[in-house]
Amino acid sequence: MVLAPLVVLVPILAATLLAAASPFAQRGAGLVAVAAALGAAVLTALVLGSSGERGVTWFSGWHPRGGAAIGIDFAPGRIGAGLALFVAVLAVVALIAASRLITVKSLAFDALVLIFVAAMLGFAYSGDLFNLFVFFELMSVTAYVLVGYEVGQRVSLEGSLTFAITNSVGSFLLLFGIGLLYGSSGALNLAQIGRALEHGPVDTAVVVAFALIASGLLVKAAVVPFHLWTADAYAVAPTPVCILLAGAFSELGLFGLFRIYWTAFHGVLGPDDDALRVVLVTAGCLTGVLGAVMCALQHHLKRMLAFATIAQVGLFLLGLALLTADGVAGAAVWVVGDGLVKAALFVIVAIVQHRYDRVTEGALHGRARGLWPLGLLFALGALTIASLPPTGSFLGRSLVEDAALKEPGYAWVPALMALVTALVAGTLLRAGARVFAGWGAPAGDDPLATDDDDETEDERGAPPRSRFILWALATVLLAAAVGWGVVPGLIEAAGRAAGEFTGTQAYAAAVLDGAHRAIAVPELKSPSATGYLYAAASVAGALAVAGAGLAGVGGRMPRGVIAARERLRGLHNGHPTDYVAWLAAGAAVLCGCLALVLQ
Amino acid sequence: MSGRARLAMVALAGVALAVVLVVAVIDLPRPDAPPPRSAKLSTSVALHERHVTNIVAGITFDLRGLDTLGEELILFAAAVGVSVLLRAQREDSTMQDAADAAEQRRAQVPASARALGAALAGPIIVFGAYIVAHGQLTPGGGFQGGVILAAALLLVYVAGQVLALPTDSPVDLVEVTEALAAAAYGLVAVGGLIFASAAMTNFVALGVTGHLLSGGTILILEVAVGIEVASALTLILAELLDQALLRST
Repeated sequence: MVLAPLVVLVPILAATLLAAASPFAQRGAGLVAVAAALGAAVLTALVLGSSGERGVTWFSGWHPRGGAAIGIDFAPGRIGAGLALFVAVLAVVALIAASRLITVKSLAFDALVLIFVAAMLGFAYSGDLFNLFVFFELMSVTAYVLVGYEVGQRVSLEGSLTFAITNSVGSFLLLFGIGLLYGSSGALNLAQIGRALEHGPVDTAVVVAFALIASGLLVKAAVVPFHLWTADAYAVAPTPVCILLAGAFSELGLFGLFRIYWTAFHGVLGPDDDALRVVLVTAGCLTGVLGAVMCALQHHLKRMLAFATIAQVGLFLLGLALLTADGVAGAAVWVVGDGLVKAALFVIVAIVQHRYDRVTEGALHGRARGLWPLGLLFALGALTIASLPPTGSFLGRSLVEDAALKEPGYAWVPALMALVTALVAGTLLRAGARVFAGWGAPAGDDPLATDDDDETEDERGAPPRSRFILWALATVLLAAAVGWGVVPGLIEAAGRAAGEFTGTQAYAAAVLDGAHRAIAVPELKSPSATGYLYAAASVAGALAVAGAGLAGVGGRMPRGVIAARERLRGLHNGHPTDYVAWLAAGAAVLCGCLALVLQ
Repeated sequence: MSGRARLAMVALAGVALAVVLVVAVIDLPRPDAPPPRSAKLSTSVALHERHVTNIVAGITFDLRGLDTLGEELILFAAAVGVSVLLRAQREDSTMQDAADAAEQRRAQVPASARALGAALAGPIIVFGAYIVAHGQLTPGGGFQGGVILAAALLLVYVAGQVLALPTDSPVDLVEVTEALAAAAYGLVAVGGLIFASAAMTNFVALGVTGHLLSGGTILILEVAVGIEVASALTLILAELLDQALLRST
């Protein structure tokens, strides 16, 4: 396996060489970045194709001796390799979009995107806890800069600063957790940690280590109450960066958490899975519901998409938190389907924003009538989020539903997921109908998205070049999102990959002993009638929510509801100090809950 | 949230986190417990199979060389980020103002401070280079030496020399050097793939343990990182000082 290291090294080399060339060359060099991202995509595809025998690559060739690791390994497995391929594809999309959307683009932007991508790819591949942290930090630092890239305006800098402060606190928590875990296991390799802890007691050090690692990664994943930074960052980030953040960055946080759980903690915490499941599923529910409600309250299209992302992350967390291979398979399929749709929606919003120099529902009301084909695409995207069959989102969601129904006591999960997706998709449909058709009552006021924001929007001033490529991108992304649900053999492949992902013993044997062990592959079924029913409920609910929003139903709410709404908005006030307070409280509560239920 | 509520929340959460952390640390093995197996293995591998006497360098630049590549890139990204974010806020014309401000400052710096700065800059550069080049033998290495090298620049600033560079070219030179040094690390990693068995594997002669030219690729990486760190810090300092000078005008 010489390919896995190249997946990370190719974008890194391209980025550094681009940066070295930046004082001399400006034109045409952007193509180099796209070429490097394409190269990484091809390499990730090859790695995915050859990861059947659990490809493990040891850097500098230091193979473990007697079950003790010396060096760092890449052991992506099919889930990690698949996620990396998805990241690389999104990177290509983002760089192509950047060539049309960012008016003042320097090579530094391309270089930073490539390093950001390399870090995400390394994070998806690495089998070493500290190495995960290094890539985690690398993607954070580049993301801070990229979010604030269009720095001409004050809001960009504020969003970037909020992002940097909250995520740095998350990194501290993660680092403390890693330190504790190294202290109690004497190892940094995930497989070796798993083996060291396996037969030991569930002591406070292990539980606290897990809680802190989870807190750090859930900040990245934007799970309640660690999600507060997200909308502020997305609202100001250039669209290509949003595509990567919404499609892959949050999801990588979840991936990291569950990869660490299944490789390092499952052995010791496995007997307490029931208790752990309750805590994680609760977090997923809170995130899904709060994200959906906040999404419905937004009028700023990018903030709306940010909260839609948070809601979706909550749903992915629900699937993964079931702690079964079935749940992992469903979430994996869903993440890809949804990431493609969100990328398409961000591109569509960017096109509108460029044309009309506005990005709120109210300011754009009916203005984009001329772009009605784009409106149809936007509506299709919204319905995909409501998991319209046969899209990839539908397939993923029905797999998660099946997984939830298999677990006693979680039969209510599918209904909750239908509710959340209906609310999110309905909100997007409402916004789309207002913007592209001018239907319904004008949007109410939204104190967090005034017209001032519009004036200071980042991508102001349409670039002189044709937007054909952007239209094509949106169309292709949506087609891919729909087609993802009907890829032949996808269910079986996802099942195999998930079985491998959750096979703690087989993973340790492959990494530490170079031995092959059989894994338990879950039996997954194509969507059943129940799945179609829930999807129909979601779509109907979405239409109802959209209709209610357009009819202005929310206009005369009781005073209590309005007060609650204002309170909720007040929580997302853009003050990093408040966010850090919530973050600390969340980490403390998570530590407390886990310590209570696991001991 | 009111300031008091926020403070109460942070205090409560902080105390709770501190308590759990302390309880957790009590559970850890005692400091005098025998070191874990991986730690012992790493030490012996670094000494016997990598021919370095500074075990830390053996671990950071070979056994865990991928981590170090990532850390170097974090610094690289930070430097690029600082220049992207700060430079975008400046107009070209204000660069001249900064240079003028630096000129004025220079006149106010006492001659003794300038003499001291000039006298120390040379030895510090030599010392930094020494620390970089002996990373495989004695404590130190690319990161530490690079910081020392960059400190020479701060001294120059204290001595009141012009830092707001009136033309773009010297900053460009630093940028190019920084990027090339970062690329060099990646190239050495790829070199392992081409000339040896795996990415980042040593592919040059290991030399005699304890000699200056020993440790194979570790020495090359130390030098690359030294240059990268020195130029990245120089870049960051130069940008921040420019900003500070602009503020003061």
